[in-house]
Amino acid sequence: MKQVTKLKSSTAIAVIGGCGLAAAWYALSQLAFSGTAETVLPVLGAIVIAGTVPSLVMNRASKRASRETRFSMTQRLDAFGKHACINIVDENDKLSEVNDKLLELTGYDRDELIGRPVTFLYNDIEKEVAAEIRDNLRRGKSWEGETRLRRKDGCVVFTQSTIMPLFDRAGKWAGSISVRTDVSRTNELIAERHTAQTLYELRDDVWIIDAESETFSYLNRAAERRFSTSYSNYRGQSLSKVDHEGHSLDVLTACREMKANEQTVARFQTIIMDVSVDVSIKFLHGLEDAGRFLIVITDISERVEREKHSSAFISMVSHELRSPLTSIKGAMGLLLSKSAGELPKAAVSLLEIAHRNADRLVLIINDILDLEKIADGQMEIDLKEVDLVALIQEADQANAMLQQRFGVKVQLKGMDTPVPFNTDPNRFIQVLTNLLSNAYKFSRPGTTIYVEVQEEDTHVSVFVKDEGQGIPQDEQHKIFSRFSDMTNSDRALKGGTGLGLNICKAIVENMGGTIGFESAEGVGTTFYFRLPRVSLNSNANLIDLAVR
Amino acid sequence: MIKLLHVEDDADIREIAMMALGLSGEFDVLQCSSGSEAIAKVKAFSPDVLLLDMMMPGMTGRETLDQIRKDPMLASIPAIFMTARAQHSEIEELLMNGAAKVISKPFDPMALADQIKLAIKKPTSID
Repeated sequence: MKQVTKLKSSTAIAVIGGCGLAAAWYALSQLAFSGTAETVLPVLGAIVIAGTVPSLVMNRASKRASRETRFSMTQRLDAFGKHACINIVDENDKLSEVNDKLLELTGYDRDELIGRPVTFLYNDIEKEVAAEIRDNLRRGKSWEGETRLRRKDGCVVFTQSTIMPLFDRAGKWAGSISVRTDVSRTNELIAERHTAQTLYELRDDVWIIDAESETFSYLNRAAERRFSTSYSNYRGQSLSKVDHEGHSLDVLTACREMKANEQTVARFQTIIMDVSVDVSIKFLHGLEDAGRFLIVITDISERVEREKHSSAFISMVSHELRSPLTSIKGAMGLLLSKSAGELPKAAVSLLEIAHRNADRLVLIINDILDLEKIADGQMEIDLKEVDLVALIQEADQANAMLQQRFGVKVQLKGMDTPVPFNTDPNRFIQVLTNLLSNAYKFSRPGTTIYVEVQEEDTHVSVFVKDEGQGIPQDEQHKIFSRFSDMTNSDRALKGGTGLGLNICKAIVENMGGTIGFESAEGVGTTFYFRLPRVSLNSNANLIDLAVR
Repeated sequence: MIKLLHVEDDADIREIAMMALGLSGEFDVLQCSSGSEAIAKVKAFSPDVLLLDMMMPGMTGRETLDQIRKDPMLASIPAIFMTARAQHSEIEELLMNGAAKVISKPFDPMALADQIKLAIKKPTSID
């Protein structure tokens, strides 16, 4: 606009100047000539001067303006080329020109790109966009939008692109020019902002504590609400000060212990401001500072309340079912012991059936209560350091009556020396007793059952091998299901509840282990369970497994 | 004779326990149907051992024992709990808090007398 104004004023000056000179010529030339020349030359000269001077002046001004424009454009294009990635594509959609900025962005050399189809630059999933761009350009329309380019190293970069069609002088399609700006960092910043926003809106409390100064550097909205304050109030505040207000005694202690023991994670349950919470702390190493503690606090008050109700229910059901059974079994036991006098043989036989089935009912109640506990994540796993050999011998002795009843022998292998192991002894015996009683029930009388312990670096395995009837191949898949009768078993006669193996599986898995078997019909079955070696303070992890 | 105070809210179980202990001929048994009745009678009876049901309406076996032990004269009487609860941790907690033994229900009536005699002679155990 300035250029045009300048040109207009130059034109006006040239015209005025030309007219002035012509007038001066006319006046002075009349004095210099005589005769016909005196009449003709002043007029002719004045016309020539008035006509040519403005033209000469304007031509010169125009050239100067053009030079300035070209210089200005060159500078602009230089600056543009330094800021944006530019490529030109020929009529065959092949790259014919690329600027340094594009090479810098993509990591390619110029030779590697020139002559390649432009789609070579695009990320695979952008092929559809490339087709859309080509379609627009062919119709003479430009295209604007975000494109993902593939770098030479395989990474993807996001660019904001403007692509315009190019035509030759005859108006024929001659390719396109693309101008792109790298927006990867912008996208990253947007993603970071979204992440920060998500963190802020998270339902759980999030605290970030500076490891050295033990001061807050971040609180999300949930944490602010819990503290009934805003982030700015707590920023820079010491955790110990908050602690004094009774909010975070355990958190502060845990952070200090983690620092002292160089631990990177900690998880525990506590009460903060009268609310039961699960606290998860992760130590984040700093590059230039002492690092930070990322603390996530989850409100578990509803779960705790639910567990309390569930526990009360289990306790109540247990009591309500066992109390009448105590009377039934007690009365029958006294009758069978002849405390009420001698009974007819047939009556004793019938009483024995009733007594045996009352025993079975007790087992079923125990199993159902166990299943209820497992389902509610209340299976208690109480780790203790024990000698597995002693536990196995205890389970063996506790089943001596059953061994006698089914006429089988038990041989313990690999138990010459103690096998120290951290486990829940009651649950271990429960699993082993179950496997042993199954082995007794399904073994042929007079055969031997082998119990073996095998130690590995990270696990211990226990095997119970019988020489019984085996499990039919087509029924093996349901062996750990509840109430799954095999065709060759007689559960009612042998006194099974149909829940034992299902419970064993749940217990072993709650202890982080695995359970399985190998069986051949007519040859026998080997059941085994494999438990990991864990430290005594692993209860929390095992409880987690149980909850899941 | 061993003087035993049995506290149990279930009349049938009281009768079975009485019959089972009576067979041994070594027990002088006083039975109560509630914790409060036991507290009222314990001093006069001066038992050698307490056999307490854990879950009773009103006062539980544990609460009954706590009340009885407030009296220094009765504080050292060994206590055996009977419980129909399945939670192992609860049983262990009772033992930790001074129970001589915890007998799970249903119990074997023919073994009851021996279990009690053993419990008042030796350290704590679970049956």
